[in-house]
Amino acid sequence: MLAGMAEPRIAEPILHVDMDAFFVEVERLDDPGLCGRPVAVGGKGRRGVVASASYEARASGVHSAMPMVSALRRCPDLVVAPPRHGRYGEVAGQLFSIFRSFTPLVEGLSLDEAFLDIRGLRWHYRDSRAAAEDVRARIRADLGLPASVGAAATLYLAKMASGRAKPDGIYIVEAGSEMSFLHGLGVRELWGVGKATRRRLSEMGVETVSELARIPAPLLERRLGKAVGAHLHRLANGVDERAVSPYGAAKSISAEHTYGEDITGMEWLRAELLRHADRVAWRLRRAGMSGRTVSLKIRFSDFKTVTRSETLADATDVTRDIYRACCRLLDRAGVGERPVRLLGVAVSGLEPEDGPRQMTIDSGSRWEDAADAVDEVRARFGRGAVAPARLRPGRSGGASRR
Amino acid sequence: MQIRADRDDLAEAFSRANRAVGTKAALPILQGLLCRVSDGMLRVTGSDTEVTVRTSVEVQVMEEGSFIVPSRFMTDAVRRMPEGTVTLRSVDGEIELEGNGPRFTIRQLAIDDYPDLAEPDPAGAVKVDGELLLEAIAQVTVAASSDSARPILTGVLMENSDSGLRLVATDSYRLAVRDLADVKMNGSGLVPARGLRELGRTVASTVINVAIQEREAVFSSDRGSLSIRLIEGNFPNYRQLLPDRYPNEVVLGKEILLDAVGRASLVAEDHIPIRLNMGEAGVKITVQRRDLGGAVELVSGVYRGELDEVDIAFNARYLSEGVMATDGEQIRMEVVDSFKPSVIRASGRDDFLYLLMPVRV
Repeated sequence: MLAGMAEPRIAEPILHVDMDAFFVEVERLDDPGLCGRPVAVGGKGRRGVVASASYEARASGVHSAMPMVSALRRCPDLVVAPPRHGRYGEVAGQLFSIFRSFTPLVEGLSLDEAFLDIRGLRWHYRDSRAAAEDVRARIRADLGLPASVGAAATLYLAKMASGRAKPDGIYIVEAGSEMSFLHGLGVRELWGVGKATRRRLSEMGVETVSELARIPAPLLERRLGKAVGAHLHRLANGVDERAVSPYGAAKSISAEHTYGEDITGMEWLRAELLRHADRVAWRLRRAGMSGRTVSLKIRFSDFKTVTRSETLADATDVTRDIYRACCRLLDRAGVGERPVRLLGVAVSGLEPEDGPRQMTIDSGSRWEDAADAVDEVRARFGRGAVAPARLRPGRSGGASRR
Repeated sequence: MQIRADRDDLAEAFSRANRAVGTKAALPILQGLLCRVSDGMLRVTGSDTEVTVRTSVEVQVMEEGSFIVPSRFMTDAVRRMPEGTVTLRSVDGEIELEGNGPRFTIRQLAIDDYPDLAEPDPAGAVKVDGELLLEAIAQVTVAASSDSARPILTGVLMENSDSGLRLVATDSYRLAVRDLADVKMNGSGLVPARGLRELGRTVASTVINVAIQEREAVFSSDRGSLSIRLIEGNFPNYRQLLPDRYPNEVVLGKEILLDAVGRASLVAEDHIPIRLNMGEAGVKITVQRRDLGGAVELVSGVYRGELDEVDIAFNARYLSEGVMATDGEQIRMEVVDSFKPSVIRASGRDDFLYLLMPVRV
């Protein structure tokens, strides 16, 4: 036995990489004229919302999910760029290739953020800071984009650390200092604590994480529900056993749209669902994934929101399968003639297309062939070049874009 | 109404009819058993309107009459009575069940609420050996789907083939076909597997009369009748899936193969297939999981084929269910290549085949 040759170990092996104002920075990449100015990416219509805001805009109080109208009121110089999701998806693809060149253990949370488990890089980097610096440098060199990185021993501490790192920095919750880091936080900073939970905690007189940690688990479970209570108790005490899962079960691909004017009536809703289903199917195929669970989200004009989901027998990436599931879900949602403000379709339970795939007696059906043909046309002539017949421009019944 | 009967006779009649009573019936009254007493017989009907069981038992009739009682309660109560003679008697809207000590009172349900169920039509029925029919049903229903979103796949196609009565089921991942030689049916239809599975526990006997009508299939014997409403729709065209010839095949011991697949299943999961390498020595089964570990095993057998070896992957459960359904000590597995359906049969027998779609890896 050789003395003094202990295996090296990275004390904070989980990195959370989060791009800074991702959509805005991609727009700046393509149009350098936007640099240094307050910029927001988002819709310009009456109901447009801010999808991403530059730090200059944030200084004037603009933040994401804010109605564009309010953003312009707060920041009259604001440059509004219409979103180009195809382009963001393309850059995100390159970004994730960079992530995967560091480690196969990458779990994407969205287009522009991911967890990286760098345990296996213990011979390459002396500590998590060196690794985080290298990741940032690679993203900067290859894509020209700023990124913030948080590092910690657990996933959710890493996620909170990247928030502290912003913009364009690194923050490390050092091993051993987790409790003092946590207990300095307010409960609102805990990832996953929303408005309702915060209000209930506040009613119990709990405002900080250190106060939360002192509440016995059974009491929290009674007040907040078993799952949420137990979860928060563990988080507040620094317990988080979740590992980075490269094919995270929560991942989904979705399309949703907030309508400039409410839409009403089943025929119109179905036409819009077909449009969404077609878009989701196309995105799935582009990502090389297919999924088993189809979810439908409907927000009514009174902001009441319902979601319904259904799990299919087989994973799919075909418009028709997703659309049919959506129609069944729509029937179950009991919408009737109520005006609808937002429609969304998501497919989750994703599996990589090249993973093991149970074949069926109708494998290689005509619909899969049709999807391949659609993809070919779109690759050559753009996304609008081909669409389901019911969505063709100018067709009556409200299916055309308004 | 008042009757006397042996507890075991009564328990059997109620148990049979109870098999048709669903736990989530559309109408509350369908949680009940319809009972009619006349001519020295107790006739019991249980139904969820899709599957209906009618059975009867000889009893000593003191007073005739009809009534409806909650199925589960009645059946369980009779089963729990001490053995020997029991009496059933209607008293003030209740049925009293009594014998050798205990007495149950069972609330009656409103007989007028019970739906009109058309009497089963045995026209054109053919006689089938009961044991063979039950065996055939057990063999094909493993391949039927239980997914109510695809109703057609939850049925068993019963039709005439060149060699006799043919039963076919598929959930689209596998397909089971069984022929019963020398049986010529009066018609064909798609019979829910859920109803067919009840045949053994309801009216099965040494000889079963089978009739397939326009709307329902009727199975009857000296024990009563089971009618099952047919599924409407077109069954997949399964014939085109059955290749004329398979260039490669391997013959294996059934139990040895089942044991090996069982061991590999410890590692496999629904989305993690087991891999078979077929070649001169037999079949090498491997399964590997990144997060858990793996298993490897050689099942020796006799291989004959145009290819030196074939690699093919299957869902472990589908494979073992197919091997289990095959009746014989030696099974023959026929393959074309890694992506074409494979077929399992009993070696030397052609009356059953189990077609299995591979997993593409």
